[in-house]
Amino acid sequence: MRVLGCLDGTNGELIGNAVQMFTTSEALTIALIAVIDAGPRHDIDRVRERFWRPPMAHQPVTQEMLAAETAAVQETLNAGLEFAPGAETLVRQGRPELEIVNAAAEWRADVIVIGAQAEYGEAPHIGPRSVGHVARFVLDHAPCPVLLVRSLAREQFPIHR
Amino acid sequence: MFLYLPLTEFWRTLLASFVGVLTLVGIMTRPFRWTESHIAMGGAAALLLLGLIRPADAALTLLRDWNTFLFFLGMMGLSAMAEAAGLFDWLAMQAARFAAQSAKRLFLNVFLLGTAITMIFSNDATALILTPVVYVLVTKLRLPVLPYLFACTFIADTASFLLPISNPINIIVMSHYPLPLLTFLRLLFLPCLVVIAINFGIFFLLYRSQLKGTFNLNRLPSSAGVIKHPVYFRYTLCVLAIVAPSYVIASALQFPLSVVAITGALLLLGGALHWKRTTLMEAGKGISWSIFGFIAGMFIVVRAIEDTGLTVKFGTLLLRLSGGGSFGVVMVGAFGSALGTNLINNVPMAVVMNSALGSAQYAAPAIRNGFVAATIFGCDLGPNLTTVGSLATILWLLILRERDVEISGLDYFKVGVVVTPLMLFAGALTIWLLL
Repeated sequence: MRVLGCLDGTNGELIGNAVQMFTTSEALTIALIAVIDAGPRHDIDRVRERFWRPPMAHQPVTQEMLAAETAAVQETLNAGLEFAPGAETLVRQGRPELEIVNAAAEWRADVIVIGAQAEYGEAPHIGPRSVGHVARFVLDHAPCPVLLVRSLAREQFPIHR
Repeated sequence: MFLYLPLTEFWRTLLASFVGVLTLVGIMTRPFRWTESHIAMGGAAALLLLGLIRPADAALTLLRDWNTFLFFLGMMGLSAMAEAAGLFDWLAMQAARFAAQSAKRLFLNVFLLGTAITMIFSNDATALILTPVVYVLVTKLRLPVLPYLFACTFIADTASFLLPISNPINIIVMSHYPLPLLTFLRLLFLPCLVVIAINFGIFFLLYRSQLKGTFNLNRLPSSAGVIKHPVYFRYTLCVLAIVAPSYVIASALQFPLSVVAITGALLLLGGALHWKRTTLMEAGKGISWSIFGFIAGMFIVVRAIEDTGLTVKFGTLLLRLSGGGSFGVVMVGAFGSALGTNLINNVPMAVVMNSALGSAQYAAPAIRNGFVAATIFGCDLGPNLTTVGSLATILWLLILRERDVEISGLDYFKVGVVVTPLMLFAGALTIWLLL
């Protein structure tokens, strides 16, 4: 059984604990993936194009951007490793949703564990739009079963809809 | 060549219009990956070769707009030299320090910093220099990136009519239709504050869930660490402390703003060369040279169309659409210009509107000033609808979306569609109330 946990910088504990559920099965191999989202860079390049400037790649600030991104992704992985020690780590750059499903296929994952959406200190959100666009895309396009995990929200129940 | 042929006025008008429309459509669609600059210069070259505009008239058109060309040069030079001093990194650092470790406060500070930079350096500096600096800052602080990027790119346009120098578009329009500084401030400063407040309020609501966290300031280097050469940094602050009030005084005296911008840029360049913070080659890279070809081409193309009387007819049509009242003029001017900026980019739209404004020159002062202010307002704020490109770009992104991939450019469009019409209406209404 090979389990792929997807980190987004806020869910290290959540994913780490979830993948531990699989420790009872034999020969468990865990990998944690963190993706450097290329979207903001593309947006900056589009804005530059509007102002008749060449893409960011040629600007000195690009090195700083890369260093900040690399440090952030390493910290994200370290946070995940605290809860899933010994896991393999995968770093990708691009559209997170695409990189995750492609990495899952390439790594031959048997299951993907992914958070519903990033949480920035607010109470867990349940209901419509509680699954972010990355998780939604992964649910739709994954090459294997997907385990969607979220923080406990029992205090919001019962729900009346 | 048609200049020397017995061509009737009708055919000359038709040919010039055809080349003009072809140029604008080319700018909208950019076929074969041609740049806007090549297309605009191509259109101008075609008009000259066909004899639809005399070379002397073309040269005169460009000479008459020397203030615009020099302002673009000075503005870009000032921003590039201030960037070399590490000013924008230092300012972003201060924004973080004054945020009391709150993501919300930092969001507000980014808005305020963007407003201040746009006011003094123009929207160009905020969109191009501040945005990547803020990206690095929030990535280091482990905060969600998108709300802060959106704040930078939107405030660059939203705050760009606080002062005449806050956007080169203002200079293009005011080179032909000068507004006294007090009139400019009366008609545009308060509306600008109104739209900034709306922009901030809506963004705060949209991103409130992502702005709930706190950050650890220790993740950032010390303020001194971002200043690579303290003497040049202090020198830059001194020069800017002279340039900023000089802009206001020059605006009040109707003195060419390009002279202030160029002088400031040269002073900073001299300092940077003296303290070896840059080379001429490196400084040159901070300038978008292609924009000069683009503006020159557009000026010539629009001048040729202007000679046919079509742009004045377009202006008259806008005035007729407005019903002749000041409210209608402001609304039509603002929304018409804003729509145009999303079709053909804001610089060509400002050049076209400049020519169309000729139709209002004999109107009552309130109507004329309202039309000019609404044009500046619409051309400055309009690009927020499709921040990361023209409508053509957005249509292409929508096609990509059909393939199920999330396209971040569309996020900008979704936000722009929500916030921009509201800002346009509120701002235009405020302009009308202040007329």
